[in-house]
Amino acid sequence: MLKITGLEKIYRTEDIETMALNRLSMEVKEGEFVAIMGPSGCGKSTLLNIIGLLDDPDAGSFQFNSIEVAHFNERKRADLRKRNIGFVFQSFNLIDELTVYENVELPLLYLGIPATERKQRVEEVLEKVQIMHRKNHFPQQLSGGQQQRCAVARAVVNKPKLILADEPTGNLDSSNGNEVMQLLTELNDGGTTVVMVTHSEHDARYAHRIIRLLDGQVVMENVLS
Amino acid sequence: MIRNYFKIAFRNITGTIGYSMLNILGLATGMAVALLIGLWVYNQYSYDKFLPDYAQLYRVQRNFNSNGDTLTFQSTSLRLADALRNQVPEIEYVAESDWMGSHGLMVGDKKLFIQGGQIGGDFLKMFQFPLLSGNANTVFQDAYSIVLTQSTATALFGKENPINKMVRFDNENDLKVTGILKDLPSNSSFNFNFIVPFSYVAQKDPAIKAQYTGSFGMNGYQTFVKLKPGISYAQVAPKIRLITHVETGSLNAKNSYVTFQPLQRWHLYSNYVNGKDTAGFLEYVNMFTIIGTLVLLIACINFVNLTTARSEKRAKEVGVRKAIGSLQKDLIIQFLSESFLLTLIAFVFSMVFVQMTLPAFNALTGGKIGIPFSNAFFWLLMFGCVLLTSIIAGSKPAFYLSSFQPVQVLKGTMHPGKTRSVSRKILVVLQFSCSIALIISTVIIYQQIQYAKNRPSGYDMNRLIQSAMNNDLDKNFTALKNELIQKGIVESITTSTTPATDVSWHSDIDQWPGKNAGETVEMGTVFVSEDYFKTMGMAMKEGRNFTNIYDTTSVIFNEAAISRLQIKNPVSQSITYGKKQYKIAGIVKDALMISPFSSADPMMFYCYPTRQNIMLYRLSPNIKTQDAIVQLTSVFNKYSPAYPYKYSFVDENYAAKFKLEVLIGKLSGIFAMLAIFISCLGLFGLAAYVAEQRTKEIGIRKILGASVLQIWTLLSKDFIVLVLISCVIASPVAFYFLNNWLLKYNYRINIGAGVFILSGLMAIIITIVTISFQAIKVAKSNPVKTLRTE
Repeated sequence: MLKITGLEKIYRTEDIETMALNRLSMEVKEGEFVAIMGPSGCGKSTLLNIIGLLDDPDAGSFQFNSIEVAHFNERKRADLRKRNIGFVFQSFNLIDELTVYENVELPLLYLGIPATERKQRVEEVLEKVQIMHRKNHFPQQLSGGQQQRCAVARAVVNKPKLILADEPTGNLDSSNGNEVMQLLTELNDGGTTVVMVTHSEHDARYAHRIIRLLDGQVVMENVLS
Repeated sequence: MIRNYFKIAFRNITGTIGYSMLNILGLATGMAVALLIGLWVYNQYSYDKFLPDYAQLYRVQRNFNSNGDTLTFQSTSLRLADALRNQVPEIEYVAESDWMGSHGLMVGDKKLFIQGGQIGGDFLKMFQFPLLSGNANTVFQDAYSIVLTQSTATALFGKENPINKMVRFDNENDLKVTGILKDLPSNSSFNFNFIVPFSYVAQKDPAIKAQYTGSFGMNGYQTFVKLKPGISYAQVAPKIRLITHVETGSLNAKNSYVTFQPLQRWHLYSNYVNGKDTAGFLEYVNMFTIIGTLVLLIACINFVNLTTARSEKRAKEVGVRKAIGSLQKDLIIQFLSESFLLTLIAFVFSMVFVQMTLPAFNALTGGKIGIPFSNAFFWLLMFGCVLLTSIIAGSKPAFYLSSFQPVQVLKGTMHPGKTRSVSRKILVVLQFSCSIALIISTVIIYQQIQYAKNRPSGYDMNRLIQSAMNNDLDKNFTALKNELIQKGIVESITTSTTPATDVSWHSDIDQWPGKNAGETVEMGTVFVSEDYFKTMGMAMKEGRNFTNIYDTTSVIFNEAAISRLQIKNPVSQSITYGKKQYKIAGIVKDALMISPFSSADPMMFYCYPTRQNIMLYRLSPNIKTQDAIVQLTSVFNKYSPAYPYKYSFVDENYAAKFKLEVLIGKLSGIFAMLAIFISCLGLFGLAAYVAEQRTKEIGIRKILGASVLQIWTLLSKDFIVLVLISCVIASPVAFYFLNNWLLKYNYRINIGAGVFILSGLMAIIITIVTISFQAIKVAKSNPVKTLRTE
């Protein structure tokens, strides 16, 4: 599903050049659950942002379902994102002014889904993540675990092929963290590809494969049973 | 999706109600100012447009060549009216008219002394003011007829039907009411309460009738024309230009070139330069259009600054939306919808403000403007304005917010508030530059008014009263005068052809010592009776006053006239005026009878025992004004029973000459205050934002020992520097425009540095007061608490 070859990303400030990704290559197959690990500054999030088409690589190739997308323009990237990719962030990134229901509904609005179908899909996914009873609450009124479940619901409501999770349990206690990991596993079992960046060995064990990065390069891959 | 946008906009507005109110209040004030000015400007442009065939109506003017200068006069001769009527087939109608002064109208015991016109019979066919009764073709068939406006009819006849009833006119003749006009709207250039056919004047006075066949130089009346349908002025102009030149014997006729001014330009183009009507009142209309736009712009800047300053709060939303699949375009639409919603709310508030302030505004401007609630076009225009304002105010924040990169925002590596601070500073400087420039303008306008008011007028206005003469007063003048003086009500009394505060007649002198061949001089001409200079309080410079009412071979010039004629040792020299020789009896000191802003007009005074238009009298020093008025009313009613006693104080008439300048001063003062108020609202919001953003820094500084004053200085100095920069920008710009404005006045102030220092100081004090509230609040906060919040 994802084929990355010789990817490079350099951050420049006035005095310093930092090579965030250094000729990195990797592949992710459809239906896989991959965890990306490594120390801070090793390029994990940069890689995830490029996979999520939120950022451009400086060099290299990135194929999404065999289509070269590394240099897609903003419109094409936005279109590919909204149809194929769901995001789960460490800090949830829910819109404070929208209720749980409205936050989850948002991706469907951008896809132009009719109101009745939207309602059905939002309610379905809220049931699935078990926050249907809080659908009219605003994010500030929810616990961290509930916020992240809402974020997961938002990530999956448009039935994406790929979910990108950036430290999804980073702001949660262990019980809420486990619940979220359970959710991601269930989604993966349903056929959705999951790529997750994490510092947590515990969380990484939910994945099929762990890719370890150091200084912008893949240094090790572990396939988990 | 749009519903979603509005939902989030509404929640943003209500969620940060303090900022939203600052934003809405600023924008609403700006829009209210723009709307008020817009209504006023619309009213100025709407003058006379209600008249059918508006574009075909003109007034006749003469461009008079005075020794190389072209002067434009609207006084024309009856012979010219007849020549236009008979010789120019492109003209459909011609109407001659007097200058529409006041006349006495009496029905039974009801007496009015009101303004009205004596106008050619075709007038109502040209200027089709709606007739409620009567027919424009027949109302003036009989010379002894009169057409009243509705209010005049009601004042004279109450609820009775006035048609075919008689009105005693100037206590001379009874005129039959043949028509009732709807009251004239306030946006009419004409202002009369009744009209009488000119044929009545011509029939009553054979001398006036003779003017139709007299000289083109006897320019005592106005003339109006209507061109035939499809005829343009360009087609007629060559035929009328030299129409008076057939009269070779008259220097005035030979130096006059006839032109027409279209009705469309009467109201706004009243200033003539070299025979061409240039701006005039339009200058003020344009000036206020600019002020309205500036105030609205200042309000829009508030919106931009407050919205972009709050952008950190919105950055996450932008990031999320972009990650989910929103395009920049979608976000721009979203933020513009938000700005539209906010502008719409502000518009509703502004309508309330305008509705509340309109009575005061009308009282100030003397207008009768209102919000045209039932006019669909108005609402369409307002919708357009709201849309445009929301785009102006909202597009910068929309483009800016929507340009955030989701990666940076979502990772928290972006600090959007800081990146905008330079452009925000520029906008604050722009706002304050406009506000300070308006403050400077107000101060300078007031200085100029005060300067002209303090200027010696050359005559004594204290307790000096003027009343219009009428037939009865003319007949009984000597008896009236004796009684008023004997009873000690007035100390001095006289009559004159012009009021003390105007010169209504200019004419040529035929011959004077040292005249060059072909040289012409038009100067203010006043016919007076005895005691004129004494009553007016005008001092003789040399020579003598008129000896008595029969001193009809003497002329008295003022200083300006002598310097214009360049006569050396003028007293006792001879001049010829109206083909008659006069001896210069004396030179009177200059008096400002026309404009307090110009040098005194050259004037000549003749003593004549014939009827004059104005009675001037000074109250005795020993009588209280109120008592005097009671006694005057009784004496005037005794000698002039057909007319109500009407009077005006000369000092009030003189003060009225500053009306326009005072109005401009007041309006610019009010708008300057509002502009600075709006700017301060923005500054207040920005100060709050900066304080909020620097909470952590201030906490640390306090822990390290910073005092409240030091923190206050830290937070205030940036804003004060911005206002200082604004002063530096505003001063030369204001100087340039006001210096140009002052050039209109011959008698004017020199703009000094003081006004700029004063205005700058005012702006800085206002700024300090505005930002100190926030700065002190933060400076006094508990650092432990603020750092914990961080």
